[in-house]
Amino acid sequence: MTYLKSGCWFTASWIGLLLLASHASADDEPFRPEVGKFPPLKNAHAYRGELIFVDHANRRGSIRVAGTGKFYRNDPQPFAMLPYGVIRYHGAPAELRDIPLGTVMHVRAFLPPDPKLSTVPVLPVDNKDKDVGHYRGTGTAPAENHVLLFEDEPSHCLRERKVWKLQQVEIEGNVGKIIARREPRDGGEAEEPTEELTFDAATRIWRGRERIHVADLISEEAWPEAGKKQLEGQAVLLGITWKPASGDGLSGAFTQFHISDIWLDDEAIQQAAEFQKETHKSFVRSRWMPAWIDAVEYGKFGRATVTATLFGGMDASLYSDFREGIGAQMNGAENTLKHAAGHYGPGHMASDGKLLDVTRASGDVPLGSSGIQIRFETDLIIEGIRTGRVVRVRPEGWPKMQIPREEYLFNNSPEDRFPKPDIFPEY
Amino acid sequence: MKRLESICWVAATCIGMSLIANPAKAQDEPFRPVAGKFPSFEEALSYRGELVFVDHANRRGSLRIQGQGTYFRNAPHPFAMLPYGVIRYHGAPADLRDIPLNTVLHIRAYLPPDPQNSAVPVLAVDSRKKTSGYSGVGIYPAENHVLLLEDEPSYCLRENKTWKLTELEIKNNAGMILASREPNDGKQDKASAESMTFDAATRIWRGRECLAVDDLVGEGIWPVSGKKSLEGQEVLLGITWKPTPSGVFTRFHVSDIWLDETAMQRAARSQTETHKAFIRSRWMPAWVDAVEYGKFGRATVTATLFGGMDESLYADFTKDGSAMMNGVESNLKHTGGNYGPSHMASRGRILDVMKIDGDIPMGSSGIQIRFETDLIVEGIRPTRVVRVCPNSWPQVNLPREEFIGDGSNPEARFPTPAIFPKY
Repeated sequence: MTYLKSGCWFTASWIGLLLLASHASADDEPFRPEVGKFPPLKNAHAYRGELIFVDHANRRGSIRVAGTGKFYRNDPQPFAMLPYGVIRYHGAPAELRDIPLGTVMHVRAFLPPDPKLSTVPVLPVDNKDKDVGHYRGTGTAPAENHVLLFEDEPSHCLRERKVWKLQQVEIEGNVGKIIARREPRDGGEAEEPTEELTFDAATRIWRGRERIHVADLISEEAWPEAGKKQLEGQAVLLGITWKPASGDGLSGAFTQFHISDIWLDDEAIQQAAEFQKETHKSFVRSRWMPAWIDAVEYGKFGRATVTATLFGGMDASLYSDFREGIGAQMNGAENTLKHAAGHYGPGHMASDGKLLDVTRASGDVPLGSSGIQIRFETDLIIEGIRTGRVVRVRPEGWPKMQIPREEYLFNNSPEDRFPKPDIFPEY
Repeated sequence: MKRLESICWVAATCIGMSLIANPAKAQDEPFRPVAGKFPSFEEALSYRGELVFVDHANRRGSLRIQGQGTYFRNAPHPFAMLPYGVIRYHGAPADLRDIPLNTVLHIRAYLPPDPQNSAVPVLAVDSRKKTSGYSGVGIYPAENHVLLLEDEPSYCLRENKTWKLTELEIKNNAGMILASREPNDGKQDKASAESMTFDAATRIWRGRECLAVDDLVGEGIWPVSGKKSLEGQEVLLGITWKPTPSGVFTRFHVSDIWLDETAMQRAARSQTETHKAFIRSRWMPAWVDAVEYGKFGRATVTATLFGGMDESLYADFTKDGSAMMNGVESNLKHTGGNYGPSHMASRGRILDVMKIDGDIPMGSSGIQIRFETDLIVEGIRPTRVVRVCPNSWPQVNLPREEFIGDGSNPEARFPTPAIFPKY
């Protein structure tokens, strides 16, 4: 009996230890986004880098991530947009294809939700803390390469209610340096360090409806022809890229960015945002609104009522096209947002139906979600429209179009559905 | 004896036949560019297509080529720039990285010079004549090694043409423009009349101004809705492609309209400055025409600078100026660069700068330099491609993807076509 008791105690202790161990392991487990749940922005790893390569059809690419060392040495790091990942350019919704190579982007990203299906290389979870050597320092190759938010500098500033305050310009032959700091737009204490950025004769300066050059500012005597001038905290928005710069060698500056654009006033950036917004509206109308399936209530003979949440980050006018009672189509899509079929246009194979309901979530809406749920009734419930799956939806007011070959799947090649990371070169 | 005579006759006949057969074979052999010779522009196949994918570090990408059929179905077609291939955007020199995806480009291209080392798939030489279902003929030419890649305004400026706007139809800031590309000398070219879409994202450039369709409507120049005759208004157009409703086979989209010369010149100036900074940091590409070897690693190298750059860059090559020369690959990647290309480059002096008389072939600058160095290396041999930096250009470090590294990875020197998906 004593033996049994001690055996029970031993077993109970082991169970207890195991439970403790599993609990500890759950705590230690790094955060990964889950299917059907928008991950909180606060859990994302934030970094900044230059866009180097784009495979827009698969919503992935590479960026050179700014770390603690020599920027030019940093290998391009592959990234993939999460299906609900939001891209912003010039303060408006965008696609990867809209962003010029060389643009410096602000990134909020997570570990791969499902490493086995990652379209980009899967790295050790602590990679961001490693010094990769060769003067590159830490932070240049984060394992957090599945992106929730990908935004250029003016979009970042507009979202965070910040502006760049220009302190000093130093110029010779239409080329030079600007000392500036990103500060809160409405005043308050600046938390970020002052940066020295280069500019040159190709830098675009936007003033109202005008696009001017550095030479124009010189001829207007706003900037000197040569030498230094104090700019006394002039508030602007900047477009930032990277170019190799003199002095960026082993003895020079570690990382120095370059100014591609300066927006001198609100009218100028609003106009840029308007162009980008219209570009993206037309894009989403032709490719349909991405969403995921929250629930399916199955009926008889292939009928079903599907509840789906529309993804976020689009112009509000697109969401307002989803109205109760109108006709709609829903097509299966992959995590790359590629349509499951499209050889005769996505409308050819999509499930037809009707929007029974359009509801808006109250309270905080997580980034990635629009906060809008639709209930869609169809008589053609198919494999691609299941809970957790990504779909694209077309309200009846949007035109039926044929999309280009690289943007839809055909003949069900597994590589098409799950692109492999092997297109990315290893350095 | 008779047998010998008859053998001799047979042999002589065979030699004669093979001599006849050889020239015939040479004539049938498709044209391919040869190392060390700029190919004739007239031999290039000409086509037009939309930029769909770019691997700028290897100077290659994919285009959706306009054929005779349903444009949207045409799979992206890989292309590689020849080392001396010229890229122009907004009427100025450019690099692939400068051209936005979806831009419709005009191409002049050849068969791969060396199919074994092609960075893009090698296709059957008659591929351009093959029909591909509803896509029709001409959408995947084997001529995928590009001598000239230029956007619409660059093409019009080079060919001395403009777009004449005939009619506009508009509703909600979007609509159709009917226009034709015509020679500036007044000769009508009716075949090029096209109907294109525009929308609220179309940029309209007037002098220094960047306007939207809404602005032109606000100024009463374009109607709010309906049709308006534009009476042959001369403009330059930027052209892209977007999916089109109504099952139209191929219809392009107007991304930009330059209303006047000032507007176009300002766009060209911005692009010129972008490219000048690019070349100063990456060095001027050239190829080696000849090497006169001296003693103890000394040599005098004659090289032809590649063409298509801004004139001010060539002016930086001056007689007796010091310079550096570095071996590069066909994709113009520097062979060394971990500490900047100057770290491993051969230093020396420019003995002479010579301008070639007569017609300069596309791809060449028509400028030869004679460069003396005390470090002649494997990468600086006749027909090899190099990059040259005159002493007035800044010494900078290049990004990691733009140099080869330690040379241990053959894939870095000779990228394979494996990254291009098959459709």
